[in-house]
Amino acid sequence: MKILICVKQVPDMESRFKPDNAGVWFSDTDLAFRMNEYDEYAVEQAVQLREQLGDAADLTVLSIGPDRIVEALKKALAMGCDRAVHIQDPAAALKDPWQIAAIIAAFAKDKGFDLIFTGLQSQDRGSAQVGVTVAERLGFACTTTLVGFAFADGVITAKRELEGGVKGVVKLRTPALVTCQLGLNVPRYPTLPNIMKSKKKELVTIPVADLLHEEALAVTARFYPPAKKGGGIVLEGDVGDMAEKLIAILKEKTNVLR
Amino acid sequence: MKALLICEYREGKLLDSSFELFGFAAQLGGETALLLVGAEAQLPAYGGPLYLADAAECGEYNPDLHKQLILQAVAKENPDYIVFVHSSYGWDLAPRVAARLKAAQVSEVIGLTDGGFEVGCCNAKMRRTVKPTTAQAVLTIQAGAFPAQQPGGTPQIQRLVAEGGNGMEFVGYEPAEAKDVDLTRAEVIVSAGRGVGKKENVPVIAALARALGGELGASRPVVDAGWVEHSHQVGTTGQTVSPKLYVACGISGAIQHLAGMKKADFIVAINKDKDAPIGEIADVLVVADVLQFVPALTAKVAR
Amino acid sequence: MEATREIYWNVGHGVVWPMYLFAIVAIGICAWGFWLRLPVYRLGKPLNRLDQLPRRVALMVRTMLSQSQVLRVLEPGCLHALFFWGFGLLFVGTLLIMAQADFSQPLLGVVFLKGAFYELYSLVLDVAGLAALLMLGGLLVRRFFGKPAGLETIRDDYVVHALLFAILMTGFVAEGVRMSASELALNPELARFSPVGKLVGQLFLGLSAAELSLAHKLLWWVHFILAMGFIAAIPFTKLRHIFATSANYLFADLGPKGGIVTINLEDESIEQFGAAKVADLTWKDIFDADACTSCKRCQDRCPAWNTEKPLSPMKVVQQIGEVAFGRPDASLCETVTEDVLWACTTCRACQEICPADIEHVNKIIEMRRNLTLMEGAFPGDEVRTAINNFEVNGNPFGLAYAARGDWSDGLPVQLMAQDPDVDILYFVGCYASFDKRNQDVAKNFVRICSAAGIRVGILGKEEKCCGEPPRKLGNEYLYQQMAQENIKIIKGYGVKKIVTSCPHCCNTLGRDYQDLGFDVPVEHYTTYIDRLLAEKRLTLKPEQFEFTYHDSCYVGRYLDIFEEPRKVLQAAGGRLTEMDKSGYDSFCCSAGGGRILAEEKLGSRINVARVGMAHATGAPLLVSNCPFCLTMFEDGIKTGGCEGELRVRDLAEIVAERLTI
Repeated sequence: MKILICVKQVPDMESRFKPDNAGVWFSDTDLAFRMNEYDEYAVEQAVQLREQLGDAADLTVLSIGPDRIVEALKKALAMGCDRAVHIQDPAAALKDPWQIAAIIAAFAKDKGFDLIFTGLQSQDRGSAQVGVTVAERLGFACTTTLVGFAFADGVITAKRELEGGVKGVVKLRTPALVTCQLGLNVPRYPTLPNIMKSKKKELVTIPVADLLHEEALAVTARFYPPAKKGGGIVLEGDVGDMAEKLIAILKEKTNVLR
Repeated sequence: MKALLICEYREGKLLDSSFELFGFAAQLGGETALLLVGAEAQLPAYGGPLYLADAAECGEYNPDLHKQLILQAVAKENPDYIVFVHSSYGWDLAPRVAARLKAAQVSEVIGLTDGGFEVGCCNAKMRRTVKPTTAQAVLTIQAGAFPAQQPGGTPQIQRLVAEGGNGMEFVGYEPAEAKDVDLTRAEVIVSAGRGVGKKENVPVIAALARALGGELGASRPVVDAGWVEHSHQVGTTGQTVSPKLYVACGISGAIQHLAGMKKADFIVAINKDKDAPIGEIADVLVVADVLQFVPALTAKVAR
Repeated sequence: MEATREIYWNVGHGVVWPMYLFAIVAIGICAWGFWLRLPVYRLGKPLNRLDQLPRRVALMVRTMLSQSQVLRVLEPGCLHALFFWGFGLLFVGTLLIMAQADFSQPLLGVVFLKGAFYELYSLVLDVAGLAALLMLGGLLVRRFFGKPAGLETIRDDYVVHALLFAILMTGFVAEGVRMSASELALNPELARFSPVGKLVGQLFLGLSAAELSLAHKLLWWVHFILAMGFIAAIPFTKLRHIFATSANYLFADLGPKGGIVTINLEDESIEQFGAAKVADLTWKDIFDADACTSCKRCQDRCPAWNTEKPLSPMKVVQQIGEVAFGRPDASLCETVTEDVLWACTTCRACQEICPADIEHVNKIIEMRRNLTLMEGAFPGDEVRTAINNFEVNGNPFGLAYAARGDWSDGLPVQLMAQDPDVDILYFVGCYASFDKRNQDVAKNFVRICSAAGIRVGILGKEEKCCGEPPRKLGNEYLYQQMAQENIKIIKGYGVKKIVTSCPHCCNTLGRDYQDLGFDVPVEHYTTYIDRLLAEKRLTLKPEQFEFTYHDSCYVGRYLDIFEEPRKVLQAAGGRLTEMDKSGYDSFCCSAGGGRILAEEKLGSRINVARVGMAHATGAPLLVSNCPFCLTMFEDGIKTGGCEGELRVRDLAEIVAERLTI
């Protein structure tokens, strides 16, 4: 069973984001990068599936981006993937989801993958489009938002997380693509022997130009911080007045009260 | 300008979030059409064209089939925008439609801005303005970002049928687990700190949590003292949370606590001490005695 | 009449051959008993503990003879020491007899047990025997009637007590019988030098010469056989510690305190990291189990044990012994259990007090290494998150690494990247960098340095966690990653001296980093400030205050800094009331050993217990000088309900308030 896992390297969300020179995405300065959290669940699920299937499974992890993303690939290898594919693209951040999906689909097209795992979305872009679009391009069955996954006899039983904690259970046949929600499993911490082994695993680099033949369908015109939400309002004085003021602020700035 | 709005239907009910589509469409302006895979018994009061497919036949979750239904409606209406709610239904279905139409998709729109759509990114810390370059575009709107509206009227129903689906079988729903607390998924958390004084005062804080539809959280000293169960602890030695609203009651803001809740979208701190560290990250700092202020707030929220 | 006696009186020289035969058999059994244990010690990995041999031998002889380690706990220590010296003198006395009767006299015709020397000899041995007997009685009362909490009594304890008591008693009775038949009547002058023997002898005055002779022969043999039995029993009972504990002084760790083996991560042949089985420990770790006397001093001082957690350092050491000698293939971590392993704060109280020089902490760390590096285990999900945070941002909070130097805005601090010409590099550490409470400490330390005209540099966003908490949790890989990055940056600036406000950083940079090729001198700010005061580069205007001082484990037991903080605080006008547990006996705040990252799920709170001890002094102020301690005590004061009655402050804050500039 050939399995592909698509991962993205994203900045840590604690970072201070500053627009780049063009003002359309963040500047890399002072950012700490890590594997997209959703993708860690995808990798873990794939590795668990391999543990279930034994050597019959073969795990390829793929990521698109500049050289720094190799760190994310290495982590996936240390977690248990067999080989890594780095689609080298220093300008990956400027591609829209359609193009990213096109790159992945172009890579996966003739490889005979039975199952593709992706995160539900990336923490930085958050569009939740790439996985489903890849499936659509490849003609794979697809379901999203997994919080449960089981595989037996070529059939995936997926548990989707719906709003309000309700779950929807779906069965689908391979070839399939699933997108993973937080909490699907507990991503493992790579053991030191596996970290050592991963250093010897195959890492293929492919220039993005070999795979991308699509124009962007959407462009980012501007990247900017939100208007200050409240900027540290301090309320002092009468308790009743303060309560009224606070409720007004909550109504204006959050959608919790209405 | 025309928008095809895709309503959502689950477990035999039209979801309330669908009405936010009208609120969005109103801001967008222009004509609208509606599509619902649901049941005739439950239709929104809406005076425009409504494409209806029977959920009993097409399934409530059968994205391939639903995609085909939407494509049929798109062919008839030729809308500029096909609009979904950004939900487990919307984000699952929208990219399939967009891919078929080779249309741009803009996800989780929170506003309209100079010819583009405003979307959040980087964990809501930043914003992007996204502009589709295609004639048609698929949009998903953030739940809660646009006001729900009841347009009124009687829909002109046009029935749709489709067959197929690519071998996906919807098995059924599982109800939400009646778990004690899962603060990591809570949208609102109201936390008690040492400032509440004693165990007997914790219900005051819990009442505010209930009034706001949220969960009770607590700082480590409160949990250590046995006032609140450990499953409610927020902080590096408890749970790391990211609610839409976090209300810290009588919490000074030790680093362990701050690290566990700083990802909240909006932070309200209620503290006697104006200089408490929590004030530095709070969006609103209410300088007051927790036991005076919280009941007053609870009463006004409940009203 | 000359003061001497006939050796082999009554039993005759005919006993020499059977006696030596028995002795050889007894010594043979003893040797064989240890020989059997050797292959088990050899299960462990090699470790050189015979370097600097003269120093080691001197150390062993001194520690053993002086009983200095045993005496550190006064009551049982005195009993044991006096017994040891008494019994030891009896043994030496016996050897002297042997030397004269079987060697010097028959071979050279030299008799030295005579005259004044014999009188002294008699007196010393009599008193020694009495002391041994009384102390044995004291130990017996303590063990069997006093029943100190935690002291476990096993079969060996009955055997050993009975054997020693019987040996001493038969010795005295044999002496008494002999004196009754000889000295009491023939040489009463000499009898005065054996007061106990004389007293016992008077009991037998009514017996006939034949009866006395028979009784003496019998007693002599019983005493002798018992003594031989004692020798033979050594390797098979707790008496083992006579050799094993003494040998442990020889094998002591002479390296810097708290040293941990630095794993060579470049070595691709290593397949097992940390200790999964006893074979992954060193031979010394197995030998330690034999050196353990179950005195439970470690357990008495263990902060985990004292707050109802399952960890007893003594039991861990013994479990390693049980596994090594019983089921060498068993999983160590399963035997000891994860809860026990994660409970350790590496406070070193166990190791510091151990009269047998057992190294508890590193065994736990080795087992933790197995859990962390081989199994990817954590004490809890909160630690998993913290470890991820270290990996991404170099701090446990997951705060943006770029914000690490923000606390210093507007202060007289140089960012090394901008101007590396400084007097000291202040390695700030995670807590003082990011935690508001501890930022106050950092700011005050900078003010102090500034008042002394010291140019202070910081690394700012180039600094990472020193790696201590992950290392103590067993994550050597993450530790070395962060350490290497720090070392590279610091070396790049040609730093001459580093001062830290965190004693964990201080230990790690100053000692642990040495294995990674880092040799810049590192000092804790406590001694640094003390020296600035001594050199009059800094002057204080004292303001009176009452306080109690908490010896942080890593300031005190690890760095041996005890006097300086007290001196500084007293110079600042402080009047110190010590807590019961202070100095080497100090009680941990709960946050060492990486526990700062973990939730305390079992038992009661260590920090609350410690705050309670501070509160009990009546002093309104608790002063510490470690960011972990400060954090724990701020929490503990709230949880323990001491708010308003006790405050915790850092040494730097107290000093900075009293600067004359």
